[in-house]
Amino acid sequence: MRLLLAEDEKALSQVLVNILEKNNYVVEPVFDGLSALKHLETEIYDGAILDIMMPGTDGITVLKTLRKKGNRMPVMLLTAKAEVEDRVIGLDHGANDYLPKPFDTRELLARVRTMMRVQSVQMDESLMVGNIRLDFATLEMSSVGGSFRLSGKEFQMMKIFMTNPDIPITEDVLFDRVWGTDSEEERQAVWVYISFLRKKLKALHANVAINTVGQESYQLEDVSHDR
Amino acid sequence: MTDEEFYGQTLYTLQNAEKYLLKLIAEYQELPEIVVSDSFVMNCQSRIKSAESMVKKLKNRGFKEDLHSALTNVYDAVGIRIICGFIDDVYKIAAWIEKREELEIILRKDYFAWPKPNGYRSYHICLRIREGSMAGTQAEIQIRTMAIDFWATLEHELKYKKKIPCEELIRKELKRCADEIAATDISMQTIRDMLENGFCENKEDTESSYF
Repeated sequence: MRLLLAEDEKALSQVLVNILEKNNYVVEPVFDGLSALKHLETEIYDGAILDIMMPGTDGITVLKTLRKKGNRMPVMLLTAKAEVEDRVIGLDHGANDYLPKPFDTRELLARVRTMMRVQSVQMDESLMVGNIRLDFATLEMSSVGGSFRLSGKEFQMMKIFMTNPDIPITEDVLFDRVWGTDSEEERQAVWVYISFLRKKLKALHANVAINTVGQESYQLEDVSHDR
Repeated sequence: MTDEEFYGQTLYTLQNAEKYLLKLIAEYQELPEIVVSDSFVMNCQSRIKSAESMVKKLKNRGFKEDLHSALTNVYDAVGIRIICGFIDDVYKIAAWIEKREELEIILRKDYFAWPKPNGYRSYHICLRIREGSMAGTQAEIQIRTMAIDFWATLEHELKYKKKIPCEELIRKELKRCADEIAATDISMQTIRDMLENGFCENKEDTESSYF
């Protein structure tokens, strides 16, 4: 699991990185709100931990921007003890949880686990990118041109692409998320399922496509101007 | 009314056109590149529209119910149905037919790209024979995959049933079946492409662009 940590206090950030990494999370630390936004817009994470009080762009603004763009990744806010108002605003703007400082590391880890667990529950019932809709209940991918029910793996992969449009996603990330890090499946499985999805997208007259970026990454892109 | 009574002498022309088109399709199957690539036609059926169903069709569409009207207003007095294995085969044979100089293509309808609301998928070509004793004769060629053809047999039965229990539900389920079949057809084609092109070093979108 890959987490983004935005915390401007360097010492605290280092402690958090250590704890999380010891518990098998991959953590990317940033130290202000703007970098947090930049990272969240260009890379793919399983969740984010945001400090509210940061220089420049604060954690709440990062959260709001993220949610406004339709990104539903799990987010936990770190708040100072007195900031009741901030906690309420944070939760109302789509934070999954908050943790008042100072905190016990065991509680932090338990809350991160919980946050990742409830991820699927707070998802919408469907997602739309371009003219393509993905229905989470029926696993259907559809457009005005028709609809296909996807296989489990196809669906999981399409969901990753549709929740992260315009972001290059590496083959490894796709593999780990769809098959799991322990899977014995060959990595080429990713390409096989992308081939299935590409043909189905074309058959639906999609104005988005899964394009290859560099050697190892794929990206869902708007192709409405290509036609 | 018998077919002879309705079509008269024209019946022979229609039968000749039917034979002519079947021969043409047989020719396609003999093409060396088709024999080699296994893109063969699985099955080919044909029929002359019965007088009864022709009259019914003319009536439904508000045309005069005579021979002249039948030959000008309806394309499928002669009907050919080609059943293929894979979707790409459908487009390959369609492209080949549309290039024939002896045929004038009046209309083509691609229900694979734009399925009917009930889920029906097929490729239809309405054509007119240009020369010879059959010049001017019109025919319709339907090309589809085996899987869709299987679906269509049941859908056809539904058309002639007067009373269907839970009709709306049945139609919805049948539409869902059509979508599943289409998805399977696409997956089968994708797998076939992979087997033919190898498991590519090249991760670009290698597929053909029929859609």
